[in-house]
Amino acid sequence: MNEQPDGGAPTAPADATDPADPAPAETPDRASLVPLDELAPAISVVSKSRRAFLGFGLAVTGGLIGAAVLARFVPVFAEELDPASPIVPTYDPASKQWTFVVDTATCIGCGLCVVACKDENDVVEEPVCTRTWVERHTTTTDGTLYVDSPDGGIDGFPAESTAPGAAGKPVAASHFQPRLCMQCADSPCTSVCPVGATYHTDDGVILVDTRRCIGCGYCIVACPYGARYLVPAEPGAESETTPGIADKCTWCYHRINQGQLPACVEICPVGARKFGDAADETSEIAQVLREQNPQMLHPEFGTKPRVLYLGPSIEEA
Amino acid sequence: MTASGHTLNLGGRTVPIGPRAAGAAIAREVRSMPIGLRLWIGGLLAVLAVASVAALLSLPPGWEVFGTSPSFEWGLMIVAYVFFAIMTSGLCLASSLGTVFGIERFRPFEKRHAILAVLSLSTAFLIIALDLHFPVRMVFGAVLVPSPTSPMWWMGVFYGAYLVVLLVEVWSMFSDHPRIHQWACTLAACVAILAPFTLGAVFGVISAKPFWFGIFTPIMMVASAFLAGTALLGIVFYAVHRLRLADHERSASIALPSVRLLLAVGLLIVGALVIRQVVAGLNGTVPGHREATIALVSGPLALQFWGVRVIAGLVAPALLLLMPMTRNPAGTLAASILVLVGIFADRYSFVMAGQIFPTTTAAGTVSYPYASYEPTLVEISLFVGGLALLALAYTLAERYLDMGETDVHVGINWPWVRRHDATHDPAHDHDILAAGSPAPDITGTSPAPVDVAAIGLGAQS
Repeated sequence: MNEQPDGGAPTAPADATDPADPAPAETPDRASLVPLDELAPAISVVSKSRRAFLGFGLAVTGGLIGAAVLARFVPVFAEELDPASPIVPTYDPASKQWTFVVDTATCIGCGLCVVACKDENDVVEEPVCTRTWVERHTTTTDGTLYVDSPDGGIDGFPAESTAPGAAGKPVAASHFQPRLCMQCADSPCTSVCPVGATYHTDDGVILVDTRRCIGCGYCIVACPYGARYLVPAEPGAESETTPGIADKCTWCYHRINQGQLPACVEICPVGARKFGDAADETSEIAQVLREQNPQMLHPEFGTKPRVLYLGPSIEEA
Repeated sequence: MTASGHTLNLGGRTVPIGPRAAGAAIAREVRSMPIGLRLWIGGLLAVLAVASVAALLSLPPGWEVFGTSPSFEWGLMIVAYVFFAIMTSGLCLASSLGTVFGIERFRPFEKRHAILAVLSLSTAFLIIALDLHFPVRMVFGAVLVPSPTSPMWWMGVFYGAYLVVLLVEVWSMFSDHPRIHQWACTLAACVAILAPFTLGAVFGVISAKPFWFGIFTPIMMVASAFLAGTALLGIVFYAVHRLRLADHERSASIALPSVRLLLAVGLLIVGALVIRQVVAGLNGTVPGHREATIALVSGPLALQFWGVRVIAGLVAPALLLLMPMTRNPAGTLAASILVLVGIFADRYSFVMAGQIFPTTTAAGTVSYPYASYEPTLVEISLFVGGLALLALAYTLAERYLDMGETDVHVGINWPWVRRHDATHDPAHDHDILAAGSPAPDITGTSPAPVDVAAIGLGAQS
């Protein structure tokens, strides 16, 4: 057994002087006996293959860097990065503070908003996937909270809660809670997307680029409000949405940047959904914000949602 | 490499490339195989045929061939991807003791781990590609538009780099470039920690899923990786020993006892982490954390957690490693298989427990009390197909590649590797082990009977 000092490795003196092992004397001798001329071909073979290997590595790295640089100049994704421009050239997204307020004290659970959303945004009918839906929160006299949303509330609600275990129990309180994408300021969906397919517009709306989404589902598991889903394929259906990619409420972005209201807000018969530009102090939404102090739903998630709530939902949360 | 007519001269071997000649050559080759091998390969091909149909079914985006839903978006495909991906890292972690740290006892893992790691990672990539609806976009999107805020992007970076490093490792090993090989092994060992850690972070950053959230998820991922890789080595080296494949003497004398030692260490670490997971979960204060843990230990996931994960995957292999009567190759094989089943159950119950208790309505669907997910036949076929692909590719590698370890030498002596000048000799290792203690006594439960430092000097200068 023997050790050689190498790069500061400790050497046991007893080992180094071990007479039983002839190796320490042999190794340097052998190397010194080989003439350099004989070594030259071997060295050139090694260095050639190493050069080839390094050259290959450099070519691959150079290719990748070149592609990345090229992508900056060639507009590979240019039109996707500026989705607002082709719709309304005069629209200035940076000046907008779009705000959505839901009044759960007013909502009657008719489900028209769900119908209007599916119609406006070509959302698939089956299986149940909705960009917006209505929940019914029922508290029974024993203090238990039951939540139901039959088919997302698209056909309204039966008299009694359909939640398992709620049937037959006397009800103490009940309200409807419309839900949609919260367009969070600190959104987990945008930060976890591995390809940057979901992003914030300048006016704070979160959109999904249908040409870049890979359908990994990461944004769906990361969304604490359950606002997202992967678009299922509908056999035979002429749908404009691409199957297999993430989808969610956009606050009807194609409508609001043309001065229209989101479809669900427009159709709501009781005005439970309010939408507008909070930067415009004369707007209804600015007045609601000033006078009624709507609140975030589940602020503990820490995502700073931009949909605010009024009514019993806030007391429950 | 030269081509002439219907043959291709590849590294001194003449390979027929004409369809008829190639068919005849394959037929000759099949006839030369022992019947057992023919049956084994035939069975694997049959499984792969079924999996190919499943793969075709899963290709069109959005078809409901997977059992996932908005409230249970990640299912068996993600479990399978994680399983194969972390196994890759585990192979490199276990073998790095020999390849990087120069401990002679772990040197027999050198060639086989690298082949297995490349195949396992390729299987993982294939499975995630079939799970993703637009995998090609991922490659271009991730390269052209980096998203450094996403742990999944970093996971892609590290696993992509990992594949390159592993390929360099295999190439340098078979083409005899010892210095490049040493670098590749060392890099692979580093990435083998980074990659599963980042894979853990993919889950660990999701605050919406309290069961996944936190720093212990990446730690658990690395520990499970180590255990899974070691268990796979145990199965492979048992086969090498049993079927008298290349270098089988060292398989029984060094490799299998080393697997036993590493399995014991891995079981201890993972066992401790599972206890932490349950205790922390049951005392969790974040809404949903405690409920998910209850679902795991006494809810819908209890049977797979206690039955498969804990008893079959932790307790039984620990007993097999401890009991003197099972401290033999067959016992090691049984322990390795059980550990691998346990790791799969662990990944499965981990992915399930994270999503089983929804804290919100998902895209209009209320799941109460638990969200439900059942893997479809397509998903199961793809996972089993992944296993079959790994087994088939490895069988072919074992048959056609030179798996003898004796010609793999260290090209660079890192400062932490002590050198000696004795010519490497497998029998020499065996003598040392035999002199220290009978090989079957090497377990994690007693101090290593062999002075590891004394035999960790295998670097040939």
